[in-house]
Amino acid sequence: MNVVVIGLSHHTSPLELRERFAFAESKIPRALAELRHSGIAMEGVILSTCNRVEIYAATALPPAKAFSELTEFLVRCGGAAFAPVAEAIYTLAEPHSLKHLFKVACGLDSMVLGETEILGQLKDAYTLAHSHKHTGARLNKAFQRAFHVAKHIRTHTQIQRGSVSVASVAVELAEKIFSSLPERAALVIGAGDMSEKVARALLSRGVKNIVIAGRSLERAERVAREFGGRAVQFENWTREFGNIDIAISSTSAPNYILDRAKLEPLMKLRKHRPLLLIDIAVPRDIDPAVNFLENVYLYNVDDLQAIADDYLKQRKEEIRVCEGIIDEKVKLLIEPQVGPRAGAHLHVAPDSGGR
Amino acid sequence: MYSVFLWRKGFRKDDRANYFLILAAFGLHTTAMIDRGFSINSCPVHNLFEATLFIAWTIAAAYLVFGVFQRLRFLGVFASHVLFFMGVFALMPALDPPRMAAPDFSGTLISLHAALILLAIGSFGLSAVAALMFLTEEHDLKAHKFTAIFSLLPPIQRLERVMNSLLLCGIFLFTAGLTISPFLLKQKYGVWFKNDPLLDYSVFIWLFYLGLLTSRWKFGQGGRRFAWSTAGSFAFILLTFWGFLLLSQIHHP
Repeated sequence: MNVVVIGLSHHTSPLELRERFAFAESKIPRALAELRHSGIAMEGVILSTCNRVEIYAATALPPAKAFSELTEFLVRCGGAAFAPVAEAIYTLAEPHSLKHLFKVACGLDSMVLGETEILGQLKDAYTLAHSHKHTGARLNKAFQRAFHVAKHIRTHTQIQRGSVSVASVAVELAEKIFSSLPERAALVIGAGDMSEKVARALLSRGVKNIVIAGRSLERAERVAREFGGRAVQFENWTREFGNIDIAISSTSAPNYILDRAKLEPLMKLRKHRPLLLIDIAVPRDIDPAVNFLENVYLYNVDDLQAIADDYLKQRKEEIRVCEGIIDEKVKLLIEPQVGPRAGAHLHVAPDSGGR
Repeated sequence: MYSVFLWRKGFRKDDRANYFLILAAFGLHTTAMIDRGFSINSCPVHNLFEATLFIAWTIAAAYLVFGVFQRLRFLGVFASHVLFFMGVFALMPALDPPRMAAPDFSGTLISLHAALILLAIGSFGLSAVAALMFLTEEHDLKAHKFTAIFSLLPPIQRLERVMNSLLLCGIFLFTAGLTISPFLLKQKYGVWFKNDPLLDYSVFIWLFYLGLLTSRWKFGQGGRRFAWSTAGSFAFILLTFWGFLLLSQIHHP
């Protein structure tokens, strides 16, 4: 029995196409039952996320035959005509299918390289299929091994290390400065989209005390309610500096709203506790010279983006290491099968896999 | 040298090569200590040279235990520097005087005094290590270097707290060690106070560290200046202690 994959992802198709093929979770068990009853597959798992729709199947059919039947099944489920989507659909047989499964589990095939959300989605897809008894020995082993490999790669490589979004980088910086985030207070000056994202990321890491200072007190109060914090008049934001540890600024002011002369006396009030300043505004809100003050750490949007890019670069450098591990694990998975019967499948695979 | 290179790389990941280099050095160090121990038929902790090397040996042993954990292996970069400078310190003249025929176990107070002072210096040394970690990380954070958040170093606020606690611990031990001095002088010379270069030097060191801690408590002195003072004062001790020990009539009658 050969494990094959058929699907479409962000690599091969636009969102408009992917959304037509997306399976609602409630419809997946029925689709899998139909797939098995039709005789195309003995076992099946459907993974449907915003970035990919994939069918993993263990089939007794020769790969070429299985691909055409599965493509037809997918097109039928998506209610689309075959011709326009044929180019977007990829098909993989062993060992490429297993390698692909492992790569997906590790986030190597994701839009954000190394992201971990896909592993949870893959686990959910497998659990759903398994709970409806649509998986058997072959897929159970392949998926369990994929989860194991994902864990191994997360532990032994740098592929999931660091953040690749500006908001998460800001939070990581805060964690490098302050020993405990839940005890910290953050001030958001001028509530914009990006500053709200940073504030949300801080909240997710345990920051409890968030103060919003906005020109429109009404809007500031609305945002503060959402974050469980409090709002202050924009004119009064400097009064908060004695109590806060992180300040995120994103006003539309044409000039600096905070410079060295203004910050120096405020730092004395703070008794020289560290202060992290995140300036997301363009033009900038905070004079870069404040970074020369002791215990002040200033980062603007370019600095954060540069760090995020460095992380991404480093993740890309790790791809080869991860692929090496995956190759080895795939080999270990299929090795016991190598014999007179399995040989036929393995023989066909390289020619038929990977489009 | 390899640790200097790793330091510049920014503690990005654990380094097995460094761990095994320290392990190899530890093996040689242990062999040398066993050899010395057998040659004198006792534990080789009789003078400042041996005490320094014994402390270095325990630091290396502690690191080798911590280094088993992947996340803590980067500490070897700091440990190797500390061990190197302790080794240099131990080689200073007159720290390893010719041995007496048999070890003298009569002076409980002397042993307590020496142990407390050595522990205090060890505590100051560890706070200097924390200060170096702080300065490295603070520099990277200020310079917006990627290594600042990618390194395995703890948050700078925690490092500052560690520096403070170790200094506090050090000054407590140093005070206790110095408090014993008048009793030793009374025992040996029949006076409560005797002018001696090492004694004056010790009082100066005590006052300096007290001043450092006071400036922190009273004026909120922290951050870079506090870290530089902590690291600098320990470097001063390492460079000058042996000289004052040489000049001391009390310690070398």
